[in-house]
Amino acid sequence: MIILDTLLIGGIKFVFRKLAEAVDAQLNDDSVLREELLAAQMRLELGEIDEAQFAEIERELLQRIREIRERTQGAALEPGEYRVSGIEATFGGDERDDDDTDTAPRRR
Amino acid sequence: MLLVSTDPAHSLADALDLPLGARPRAVRGAPGLHAAEMDADRALERWMGARRRPLRTIAERGTYLDEEDVDRFLRLSLPGVDELIGLVELARLSRAAPYREVVVDTAPTGHTLRLLAMPATLRRLASVLDDMHAKHRFLAQSLGSEYRPDAADALIDELEREGRGLTELLRDPQRCTFVWIALAEMLSVEETRDGVRALEAAGIRVSEIVVNAVSRPPARRDALGGARARAEQDALAAMRAAFPRYPIRLVPAQPREPRGIPALRSMARALRAPGGLLPPRRRTARRVPLPRRAAPPPRGAPVAPVLDVIAPAGVRLLAFAGKGGVGKTTCAAAAAIALADRPQAPRVLLLSTDPAHSIADVLGTPLDDTERPVPGTAARLRARELDAERAFQERRERYRAAVDELFAAVLRGTRLDVAFDREVVQQLIDLAPPGLDELFAILTVIEALFHRAPAPYDVIVLDTAPTGHALRLLEMPAAALEWVHALIAILLKYRAVVGLGELAADLVEIARDLRALQELLRDAARARMVVVTRAADLPRLETDRLLARLRALDIAVSAVLVNAVPPGDEGAPRPSASHTRYAMICAPAVFPPPRGVAELRHWVRRWE
Repeated sequence: MIILDTLLIGGIKFVFRKLAEAVDAQLNDDSVLREELLAAQMRLELGEIDEAQFAEIERELLQRIREIRERTQGAALEPGEYRVSGIEATFGGDERDDDDTDTAPRRR
Repeated sequence: MLLVSTDPAHSLADALDLPLGARPRAVRGAPGLHAAEMDADRALERWMGARRRPLRTIAERGTYLDEEDVDRFLRLSLPGVDELIGLVELARLSRAAPYREVVVDTAPTGHTLRLLAMPATLRRLASVLDDMHAKHRFLAQSLGSEYRPDAADALIDELEREGRGLTELLRDPQRCTFVWIALAEMLSVEETRDGVRALEAAGIRVSEIVVNAVSRPPARRDALGGARARAEQDALAAMRAAFPRYPIRLVPAQPREPRGIPALRSMARALRAPGGLLPPRRRTARRVPLPRRAAPPPRGAPVAPVLDVIAPAGVRLLAFAGKGGVGKTTCAAAAAIALADRPQAPRVLLLSTDPAHSIADVLGTPLDDTERPVPGTAARLRARELDAERAFQERRERYRAAVDELFAAVLRGTRLDVAFDREVVQQLIDLAPPGLDELFAILTVIEALFHRAPAPYDVIVLDTAPTGHALRLLEMPAAALEWVHALIAILLKYRAVVGLGELAADLVEIARDLRALQELLRDAARARMVVVTRAADLPRLETDRLLARLRALDIAVSAVLVNAVPPGDEGAPRPSASHTRYAMICAPAVFPPPRGVAELRHWVRRWE
């Protein structure tokens, strides 16, 4: 019983941790890009790059930020359904499974 | 004897009618007297010359900064340089040649009080540097070698010694006294009250109050002269009441403006004349009667006709500048009221950036460091007396976090050194930098012009400190931008170590704001200066120099406003050649000078 509980809870914990990591990574990506943008603004301020160069960097960074945001928002679509399926999918799996299974839940 | 002017807008050469420079020279016609006009920037450069190397050493030993970084900071121009170096340079000058006495012609009230606070700042600076250096000493000792003090330690000792010596000198009544110079005007009485109180609080002795240019008894038919004499008597009674214990010396107005040695000699005789002292307080301690007030003008009267010259529609920043005592504050307040009376663009802020504030006294309403609606203007006019020191104290906590972040980047942050670093950071934050008044004035103007919610002000009227510091204020955006850029460069450089935090984002925003303000200042459609002067030689000469500097700074001047012009031809000011390219406005002499919203509103309509 205790072993089962441990397995069960451990499995759920694993899912949540993986989910948190995934979200974290995306958030971090976003913040890394934002910092890039800030650095570009600082360079512009110091005159190390000119307006045109800055505009290009900005365009590229904003595009990447937008992509990340779309991904995050897409994944967050219909949150209730998505959470349930995630737990179901992983519950059947092995918590010690270290191979690179797709932790981001598939949409049905 | 040495005579030195420490006011960045010197008038000493004008008064002596001799060319003067930063190096003391003998005054022809006055044997034994040498005179100089201090050049703070050069003095600082000289001071730094010999000390740059040890300063760099301390910064390198105590921080993460490398030689290139440190040099970048040491090259920056320092705001508040006049206050920072003034006393140190005075001490150097008086050491250089054995003068028996040094007579100092100081800057007007507000900045002289800042100057006198500088010895304490020097000592705190020594303490910060000492803490930075402590780490180096500690490491040297813990490596087992005996620590031998070097040039860096000598510099720290020198700063501490100089700061302590100056503090003692200023407080020793045997060696240093102040003579407070005032005019027989209520505003001057109030400034004297604040100023002398501040000196007393600092433990500095004021030996005498001199009231200059007291007018002679008027001719019987002279109505204006009679009114002036009555207003002066009221002011003198108020002065006596405010300072029952001080000798108050009256110096009669000279028939001609005293310029040159012979004229100054006869003025000196007046200064020593027996019977020149104001008698002790009268037995009947009568309250000073309130002077009779002019009736307010009828409602719906036209707005001041000269307003469109001073501030055409679209002008967002209107600054009043001029020599001390010409009536800047009264003029600025009157113009602000007239601007708030305009039907369009009526949100007006009257901001005093002179640390010796007078707008509350002129408006006759209590004011402080918050923007308060001025009674009688339907809340269209707000006024604020900037208190840079308080603003700094308030923001200190916010800065603490920001500076902590920066210095985490910059100071050697190993575990061993944390205790040292914390001490340094905290002391640095306590070290109110020189030039604080100008810096906060700029930040306040930026806030009011660009960011204030729900709506920014339409117009900000600035009542600036007298000439020298008004110019320092106008130079401040450029100086501050240099510093912000230096900080940004440091953050970028050490980005890999600490990342870019909120501080970086803040700095970028401040840099943008500063540039926006610089653009606005150079845009004649949005920013204007009014140069206030009087129909006399010394103000005229100072005005000429001020106008030239404003041209160099590319700041548009709306008009030269000649204040207190007596009626009739004799009073009509003769414009000097350099004034003629500007519109000239005359503000009529009124005794007592206008005070309160109703009188100011009435007065500004008579400008022409």
